[in-house]
Amino acid sequence: MSQLSTRHLLGIKDISTEDIQLIFETADNFKEVLNRPIKKVPSLRDITIANIFFENSTRTRLSFELAEKRLSADVINFSSSNSSVKKGETLIDTVNNILSMKVDMVVMRHSSVGAPHFLSKHIKANIVNAGDGTHEHPTQALLDAFSIREKLGDVAGKKVAIIGDILHSRVALSNIFCLQKLGAEVMVCGPITLLPKHIGSLGVKIEHDVEKALQWCDVANVLRIQLERQQIKYFPSLREYSLYFGINRKMLDRLDKEIVVMHPGPINRGVELNSDVADSEHSIILQQVENGVAIRMAVLYLLAGAK
Amino acid sequence: MAVLLQALRLIDSHRINPPKNFVYTGHQIVDENSSSDFPIEETIDCSDFLASKGWVDLRCMSGEPGEEYKESMDSLGEVLQSSGFVKAVLMPNTHPAVQTRNEIQFLKSKAANWFSDLIVEAAATKDTKGEDFTDILDLNQEGVFVFGDGLHPISNPDRLMKILQYLQKFDGILFDQTYEPLLALFGQMHEGLTSTRIGMKGIPNLAEDIAIHKNLEILRYSGGRLHFQTISTKGAVEEIRKAKKEGLNVTADISLYQLIFSDEDMLDFDTNLKVMPPFRGKEDRDALIEGLKDGTIDAIVSNHQPQDIDAKHMEFDLSLFGMLGLQTFLPAMCKLADEITWPLLISKITSGPEVVLGQQSDKLDSLTLFDPEEKWVFDKKSNKSLSSNSPWYNTELMGKVKFVINKNKFVKI
Repeated sequence: MSQLSTRHLLGIKDISTEDIQLIFETADNFKEVLNRPIKKVPSLRDITIANIFFENSTRTRLSFELAEKRLSADVINFSSSNSSVKKGETLIDTVNNILSMKVDMVVMRHSSVGAPHFLSKHIKANIVNAGDGTHEHPTQALLDAFSIREKLGDVAGKKVAIIGDILHSRVALSNIFCLQKLGAEVMVCGPITLLPKHIGSLGVKIEHDVEKALQWCDVANVLRIQLERQQIKYFPSLREYSLYFGINRKMLDRLDKEIVVMHPGPINRGVELNSDVADSEHSIILQQVENGVAIRMAVLYLLAGAK
Repeated sequence: MAVLLQALRLIDSHRINPPKNFVYTGHQIVDENSSSDFPIEETIDCSDFLASKGWVDLRCMSGEPGEEYKESMDSLGEVLQSSGFVKAVLMPNTHPAVQTRNEIQFLKSKAANWFSDLIVEAAATKDTKGEDFTDILDLNQEGVFVFGDGLHPISNPDRLMKILQYLQKFDGILFDQTYEPLLALFGQMHEGLTSTRIGMKGIPNLAEDIAIHKNLEILRYSGGRLHFQTISTKGAVEEIRKAKKEGLNVTADISLYQLIFSDEDMLDFDTNLKVMPPFRGKEDRDALIEGLKDGTIDAIVSNHQPQDIDAKHMEFDLSLFGMLGLQTFLPAMCKLADEITWPLLISKITSGPEVVLGQQSDKLDSLTLFDPEEKWVFDKKSNKSLSSNSPWYNTELMGKVKFVINKNKFVKI
């Protein structure tokens, strides 16, 4: 198979295990390209990609933009802070206006669940979901699984604990779907108020004690507290969260094994992750960032071929 | 004008009666044998159709006054008539809310030429905000006997109690769509496996269960007459069943579409399916059907809530709640008839609503006649509403109303 089964990447839920494997194999090649002195390939020459971010983003937007430029695509950027969205223009109008400029692909981040799905029904361009509310963030899950594969050789059979604010995390949901498709066991861990009530129905283990989660897992993927998405209070204070759910070096030292620590960034240092963990040999956080470019190159390249 | 209705198959609460000739005398429908005084001017062969007493909807909305572009009183009148409804309770959630004699008089004047009878539900609290009472006794002088805040639950227990007490002066009925708003805060759909899979903020059954329980306790204390609208959970059915056994003066209805759609239909993010209460799971649906069968649930409603395209053609969480319910009511019943039976369905839109409204009558002075097998397309051409927010818009449906009678009014559709 050399083509994806879909012309959009809206979520991990919607793609097959074969799609994921194809993305990984393609990313392997692009990662090799990224380590060459000349990092640019002409694969997407004459393809125009619009990065439309209705929500703040630094690393995801930069990662996509770099991936697009490495593929020689023409890139335009749009963010809601300097757009007409604030003047009351609807999503469909904004995107149609951009598409009138003959854009081939849209990378979109939006605070509303299902916004890229809505868009996919109304526009012709390929759409890559760069995060929709508390739903999915598929390229993050792909780069996370790709990084586990790179570090541990395989994802199948590995135990991955996702720790933190699961309720407000699109990364958690995409990771659960992706890791399960690749044969990993998944646990979620956090305060009970930050775990969706029915999360167990997704076939994940549930734990509220971080030390127990660390003892169980091969990989700890630590999520940031999404204060900006919490419309009401879910825990008493950041101090209490950090004391009872934060991960520090002592916890890792108490383990009788080496585990891998991941974080999708940006880190709230001293809250969910202490610096002595984030910057330790256990951490593959910066490798995740590097792999993000290769994964996004692979996704864009394959979707362009699916036109 | 007398019309011979030949081979009419009349559905009542118990059965589909064998074909029999009836005569519409111009005021009521009577057995052919007792109608020799009326010269027949027209004969209609009804042998391919089914019929029942005219239908009653306990919950529908107009946009007028304030949002006439969504549904005007004129368009709503057309919608009701063509959908087979001879009587409808109109919710008070307009702009301004229906809360003074002015609005009542305005709506009555607008509905003066309607085929269907209008029952206005007046707001129980000012601007339907759940705080200060409206002038309930004064509104009753305009003939209003149904009160409620329509789309908004009266969640303040003290307000609910006092309104239930106050209404007792004239045997008024309080309609309430009951849920605890704080437990439904920011919710977009039913909380369950599907909402978890798509990361959508859910509305738990708990929000309804706890509020129904609370309101029944208040009713037990205050007395009065309480009608729960559009209940949707197994817990609500169980609570109301117990309360009825105990003899509390309570009735309940459900939206027909709770039996058609479920939370799993949300996977496609169709904003036309975003309704309140949300479409729930299979266990709740089973409980609602049990509730219909054992009489816990008295009526089925359309929950007709028109929304213009700009309120729906957008991101799911930003779109407004509501779905058209009247014109697709018969096709929806046709989908359920094998499972639930025509007599049970029909009883919940005829005798059931009459019980809720305290307007029981054995007189057959209205009739809805329909073809359960006729196919038609619900589209721009057939749509009588000013809105089109239905998941079935632009699809072929089965089941068409053929004619309706309401006392001295006879309309072929």
